[in-house]
This record gives sequence, C-alpha cells and structure tokens, in this order.
Amino acid sequence: MTEAATISAVMRALADPTRRAVYERVVGSDEITVVELTRGSGVTQGAISQHLKLLKQAGLVAERPEGRNVYYRAEPKGLAPLVDWMSHYGVFWRDRFANLRTLLKEIDP
Amino acid sequence: MNDVALKSGTQDIVFDEVFPHAPETIWRTLTTGELIGRWLLMSPTGFEPVEGKRFTFQTTPAGAWDGIIDCQVLEVMPNERLAYAWEGGHEGNVGYGSRLDTVVTWTLSRVENGTRLRLVHSGFVLPKNDAAFKNMSDGWKQVVRKLDTIAAEQDSAKPLH
Repeated sequence: MTEAATISAVMRALADPTRRAVYERVVGSDEITVVELTRGSGVTQGAISQHLKLLKQAGLVAERPEGRNVYYRAEPKGLAPLVDWMSHYGVFWRDRFANLRTLLKEIDP
Repeated sequence: MNDVALKSGTQDIVFDEVFPHAPETIWRTLTTGELIGRWLLMSPTGFEPVEGKRFTFQTTPAGAWDGIIDCQVLEVMPNERLAYAWEGGHEGNVGYGSRLDTVVTWTLSRVENGTRLRLVHSGFVLPKNDAAFKNMSDGWKQVVRKLDTIAAEQDSAKPLH
C-alpha cells in the first residue's frame, strides 16, 4: 500500500463516528475484547466486530487471540501517517528542553 | 473571521518548565547562534534577534524537500518573548517532510526560583482534504493526546545505550 493509500484508509476508518468511538475506547484501554467494547455501546457485537476489522485493516489496531477471546489494542504506529510532524516535534522539543537544562547548568552553575 | 475560526484546523505543541536561572541567562541561550546550536543540535544560519530577520536550519531532507527550515523572526521582547516562523517541507510528502507552516514562540517569565519558560509550537495542520475528517474535532484531539502518551511510554521503555 502506498503512503497516500495508507492515509486515506486511516481517514476513512476514523471518519465514521461509531468506529471512531470504538477506536478511542481501544486506545483508552491496554487491551479490550469485543464483548467489553459492545457493553454499553448501543451497537451489536457483530457491528463492533466489523468496525474492528476495518480499524485493523487500516493498521490502527492489533489483535491477540487467547483462548476463546481476542484482545484488541491500539497500534501505536497507526496514526503515524497523519501526525508525523507533530509527533516528531513532540519528541524533538522534549529532548531539546532537556539539552537546554544541561547547557544552562554548564554556563550558569 | 476570528482567531479561533482561523486556527480551528491546527494543533499546538506546548512545553512549560521552570528553570533555576535568570531570564537574562535563558534569553542568551535562545538568541545566541553558538548557544542555540549546543542545545537545539542544529546551528542557525543568519540568525539575529531582530524582527524581520530571516534565518535557516538544515535538517534531514525528505523526498523533494531539501531539509531546510526557513525561519523569520516575528517578535523580539528581550528577556520576555521571542517568536519566529518555522517553515519547511514539501506538498509532495506525507508525514515527516510534508508541508510545514508553523510558528515557534518562547515566553519567559520570572518566578520565585528562576524562570518559567514556555514554548508553543503552533500551526500543525491536520489533514483537511477529506470533508468527513473535519468533523472529528474533539475526538481527534483526544486521540492525539493518547498517542502522545503512548509514544512517550514507548520512548521511556527503550533500553538505555
């Protein structure tokens, strides 16, 4: 898949409000099952499964089968095509603040 | 159109920390080319703390982008506030190296035990071509916040070299 295709897959996956809500709940938990996601969602388990399938295809969630359950978790790299500049500078400035603190200690002990 | 409407499609990065040094000392590290190079790990070319002054940084190129960050000093209030435009990237790139039209603002305020230094890097544009995507608003912000947390946890989980 090309980068542009990846971006549109991610955007398509998140454009649907229900699917976005499912994704945010997955992001908000370490790992979560379809049953837990269905509880209180007002949507059927089949619908949740469909949303998860699309989120997985878009690279936004990963799954781990264990016994009779499948656990879903957010794929940290999933949103990378969309937020790269922001995540780049998030890390960049945090590191530079640390450098600045060290430099200040050197020139003004 | 007001400011809020203009900026509704962008995100800011904010860092805010207290340093046990006088504002004058911190100001020097933010406005002296040689010192900037030592903490930013990129040396500016042509920087002077003078409003309107243009300068550049050279960073890693990507695709059709040569890796040059074009900056222009927008505001200088000695020992209090420094703002510069921070532009680069190319329309043909996605993610790192995509078009970047942002502003970096440093604000220094004297506090009891030193100086509060606040950095706002503003103007990160979210993907805007998909009409449906525009409706994400708050949901998106929440996702970005979470992602940042995940990224930070991953970073700290990396073994030390």
